[in-house]
Amino acid sequence: MSHLLELADVHTYYGESHILEGVSLHVDPGETVALVGRNGVGKTTTLRTALQLTPPRNGTVTYDGEDVTGSETHEVAQAGMGWIPEDRRMFSQLTVDENIQVAVKDSERVDAHLDRAFEAFPDLREFRNRKAGNLSGGQQQMVAIARGLVGENDLLLVDEPSEGLAPQIVEDVANALRAVSEDASLLLVEQNFPLAMDLADRFYLMDHGEVVHSDTTEGVSADDEEIRRYLT
Amino acid sequence: MIPLVSLVDAALHFLDPAVLARVLFDGLAKASIYVMIAAGLTLIFGLMGVLNFAHGSLTAIGAYLGGLVMVTFAASASGNVGRIALFFVAIVVVFALLTAFGGAMEVSLIRPLYDRPPLYQILLTFGITLVLEELLRMILLFYDIQPSTDWLAAQGTRPEVISKTHDVFGLGVEGLEVFQILLGVAITAGVWLFLTRTRYGLYIRAGSEDGEMAQALGVNVHQAFTVVFGVGVGITGVAGALLMWDSAWAASINLGAEVLLPAFVVVIVGGLGTFRGTVVAGVLVGFVDAFTTELFTSDIVGFSALPELFIFLILVGTLVLRPQGLFGVEEVGGH
Repeated sequence: MSHLLELADVHTYYGESHILEGVSLHVDPGETVALVGRNGVGKTTTLRTALQLTPPRNGTVTYDGEDVTGSETHEVAQAGMGWIPEDRRMFSQLTVDENIQVAVKDSERVDAHLDRAFEAFPDLREFRNRKAGNLSGGQQQMVAIARGLVGENDLLLVDEPSEGLAPQIVEDVANALRAVSEDASLLLVEQNFPLAMDLADRFYLMDHGEVVHSDTTEGVSADDEEIRRYLT
Repeated sequence: MIPLVSLVDAALHFLDPAVLARVLFDGLAKASIYVMIAAGLTLIFGLMGVLNFAHGSLTAIGAYLGGLVMVTFAASASGNVGRIALFFVAIVVVFALLTAFGGAMEVSLIRPLYDRPPLYQILLTFGITLVLEELLRMILLFYDIQPSTDWLAAQGTRPEVISKTHDVFGLGVEGLEVFQILLGVAITAGVWLFLTRTRYGLYIRAGSEDGEMAQALGVNVHQAFTVVFGVGVGITGVAGALLMWDSAWAASINLGAEVLLPAFVVVIVGGLGTFRGTVVAGVLVGFVDAFTTELFTSDIVGFSALPELFIFLILVGTLVLRPQGLFGVEEVGGH
């Protein structure tokens, strides 16, 4: 069985502090997988390790059958791994159009990809010439998802997409993620546990830099003893 | 203490249409020069956050390289058209050589220092300045060219149309100033189009704001920065080649020091990471320079060192009132 993304016994450090203490997980084609756990247990670091933004000191990251451990981040991204990061990371001085254009990897067909993004997110069309830094949080999140969409990625690493957004907007974001998950696998970090369970097929529960539990999301609730212990 | 009557005199002096037209025209020409000497620096310092103290000596090298092409081939390119055509060959040669040199410099020397504090870049680029200047001095002395005085042979390659003062509607218009304005506008437009209309320009603007995010979207930020550094050095050299013809600057080893401070002033006043700011600041500094030069070197107030002081007053005023610069955004630029 070949996984789309596989982390095998990955150890990652920030300087001397040991953040990931042997994380193993995988995402298969077409799946949406949630990564849950308290703040500071290494969820974001797991995504950064997959992208080689913070390469692991030990262990391997395999993407689409290739060992990408220690590769340059832009090479991993070119291989089809996208990032929808925490705080959305807009290029605030660039317009919405330009933010999305940066993410298009096929430079021959930039306009076609832009059209596709605005078809998927029609609300963004009227803001396309506005600087991304001037948009609301919900609009920025849509731009961030649109960047993931136009990159023709097979896997999107999504970090805290609902953070700081009003409930109505969270619903829009969830729908957008459902839409992009038709075409790509998702590895999703989400504090909102019911939302994470709703979107994902499977989940990994992390604590202290390790995966402590994994299961399918069917019938799982935050009240389960095993899960409550690690989330509260 | 300046008597009141002199102030009135000065005001009347500037109300003379001929004086006003000359000051405005001088201002445009000076603005073009300031924008050009700062254009390379704003790409490298403003967008990449690298404090390139070698900027001045690279300008001087551009001046000498441009002069070398002119002096070598001047005999076979006579007449106005021939000389101007030769000058364009010279700036293409200077741009190509210095872009390649800048790219190599970024890959081999600057890149390993990105993750270190800025002090390392300052020390490195300052060291590069010393090495480049001494090498240049050795080469010039070997060919019997006096390194610390203006290279007059290169200035002598100016075509007649550029050396002359033309009579336009009764106003004296220097050919060199017209040429500087045209070239300044062309180079400004070129850099502007490169940054806003090309895919590379987009990568550079994105990468300078958030390099990590740009990489995660598949942009090879290292390569983009090598290109920016190379192009920045190339433009710096072209600016030097233009100054070689201007007797107020001219090719000499000292050109490096003369250029470095005003270039930093223009970039800082305009704001880091914004080319538009650099252009506006260059125009501002150019007009202030032209106005104060007219004021302090005329019969009204004789104090020829004051114009330079005013340029630095603009810097001080900006840093006190608006530290991020006219068009700067806080926390943009750098890594």
